[in-house]
Amino acid sequence: MSAVTGETMPVGAVPVVQTSRLTKSFGAVHALADLDITVGEGVTGLVGANGAGKSTLIKILLGLLEPTSGAARVLGHDIATEGDRIRQLVGYMPEHDCLPPDVSASDFVVHMGRMSGLPATVARERAADVLRHVGLDEERYRQMGGYSTGMKQRAKLAQALVHDPRLVFLDEPTNGLDPAARVDMLQLVQRIGRDFGIAVLVTSHLLGELERVSDHVIVLDGGRLLRSSATADFLGHTGGLLVEVLGGDAARDQLGEALAQAGLHCRPRGPLVAIDPPPEALAAPGVAHDIVRDTTADLGLALVRIEPDQAHLEDVFLTGGHA
Amino acid sequence: MSQMSDRTGVIHDLGYRGYAGQRESTAALVRHLFLTGLRHAYGLGRSGRSKVLPFLLLGFSVLPAVIVVGVVTFIDADSLPLSYAAYTSQLQMLTSLFAAAQAPVLFSRDLRHRSIVLYLARPLSAALFALTRWASLAVAILAFALLPILVLYVGGLLAGLDVSEQTPDFLKAVVLQVLLASLLATITGVLASVALRRGFAVVASIVVLIVAVGVVLIVQGVADFEGIAHVGEVAGLFSPWTIHNGLAESWDAGSAIGDLDGAWPAVYVVTALGLVAAGLALLAARFTKVGAR
Repeated sequence: MSAVTGETMPVGAVPVVQTSRLTKSFGAVHALADLDITVGEGVTGLVGANGAGKSTLIKILLGLLEPTSGAARVLGHDIATEGDRIRQLVGYMPEHDCLPPDVSASDFVVHMGRMSGLPATVARERAADVLRHVGLDEERYRQMGGYSTGMKQRAKLAQALVHDPRLVFLDEPTNGLDPAARVDMLQLVQRIGRDFGIAVLVTSHLLGELERVSDHVIVLDGGRLLRSSATADFLGHTGGLLVEVLGGDAARDQLGEALAQAGLHCRPRGPLVAIDPPPEALAAPGVAHDIVRDTTADLGLALVRIEPDQAHLEDVFLTGGHA
Repeated sequence: MSQMSDRTGVIHDLGYRGYAGQRESTAALVRHLFLTGLRHAYGLGRSGRSKVLPFLLLGFSVLPAVIVVGVVTFIDADSLPLSYAAYTSQLQMLTSLFAAAQAPVLFSRDLRHRSIVLYLARPLSAALFALTRWASLAVAILAFALLPILVLYVGGLLAGLDVSEQTPDFLKAVVLQVLLASLLATITGVLASVALRRGFAVVASIVVLIVAVGVVLIVQGVADFEGIAHVGEVAGLFSPWTIHNGLAESWDAGSAIGDLDGAWPAVYVVTALGLVAAGLALLAARFTKVGAR
């Protein structure tokens, strides 16, 4: 697995995370099976359905869980022997609630900074800094029991960053957030990776989210590596087209049937007609466009737009990994 | 005020600053965790409400000592009306309540709210974390028991009691208290780490600490009355308080009930230390397991 991207990573540098044949079994259940992945600098998305092994992988990398077999290195340190060193350099934002309700975010983040080895004054300064970065203002002095989900997620993120880690594991940071807060959180994740210079491994079961923020995506399925490559590779053009005509579903279906007769495979997608990559006879550039134009004109429909169909991370699951 | 609510919460980006300086050693981390835990056991650094119970109990346990010192000063007595160890024993209800009520602060909160995961994702190991938490609780209990007898000791000396008579008794009582505090911290700590809900933990601890000592005393009373050998001594092993009192008696530190002879003091000490060791192993295993979930 040499497909490491992330422009900031010089050739030959130590990968942020590297696993080799990492396996974790809970009895008969294989949470991870012979996993070989490499994570570089920048933001890496770890994608998979619930139960695909994302959280298990993070816990193993942190040394909270012992792998059944296999090895892994985080920032060049072996997880089996240098767990305490790794935990000094890494920040972790767990998926579930993990904040004591009767302490203020400010006090808690200072305490967590000290528990990562920051001296008292540095911990106070950095806690204030980091809380500002994640966007907790005056509410930082209130007890966390009264926080909204969005504020709790910010506090959780702040404690993961307070000790200036080299790498952060963010497990489902957008969980439970409303759409606006979700966008904020994703922007923050992107800033951590690009502006703060901290490598990020972020998980989500929502693929669309990670498309937007990550430089590199690793897709897990049932504890196995489905695919690992630069985000741009996932989002390339499929060769298909999207067509929109006026006249609602009736006009859409009329066009679809006519295009099918002309030899193009297509299906409805929302108000649009999605045309699969054309068969070889029609594959020359512009041919499919011409057919669409002529068919629309013949039917007397009003053509709104023709645009190239873009792939999405979801397609990886449909095509089984190799798009 | 309206200006405040007009604020749109814009975050001014001053840029991110890293930290390249020195990081503290494991020993410094343990010390910080220990002190924070100790403060939390007395409600310091937590909400105002959480300070009420520990300080109320502490007040109740010191008050009799202040009165005793006052009386000793007033009547110009040449000894205390009761020994230091006996005073500790007399206040077992308050000390048990303090241990039962404050153990969940150190052992349930992290597990229940799952902040344990954040601790274990940091350099300290689960075993060291559990040990440090235990030390915080044990020292908090020790301080709770120690303060009143310190008042007795200092007050007594100021009232003109003989230093050479009082000091050995006092030091013996302190050693016994260290053992007692270790036992109480172990028992209430294990219960709190399993019960998770504060109410359950408190009730379970009170049953084990206060009800058990009553049962033990009944058994000892019956055995003593009937003249059955060894039953009373064995029964005494089932409560930290009767362990404390039995050892106090055999060590001549003065306590009201139970007398140990022969090898029994050694058996008591070994039982106490064994219980503490087993409890610490349990706590470490419990924290490791919950942290991995």
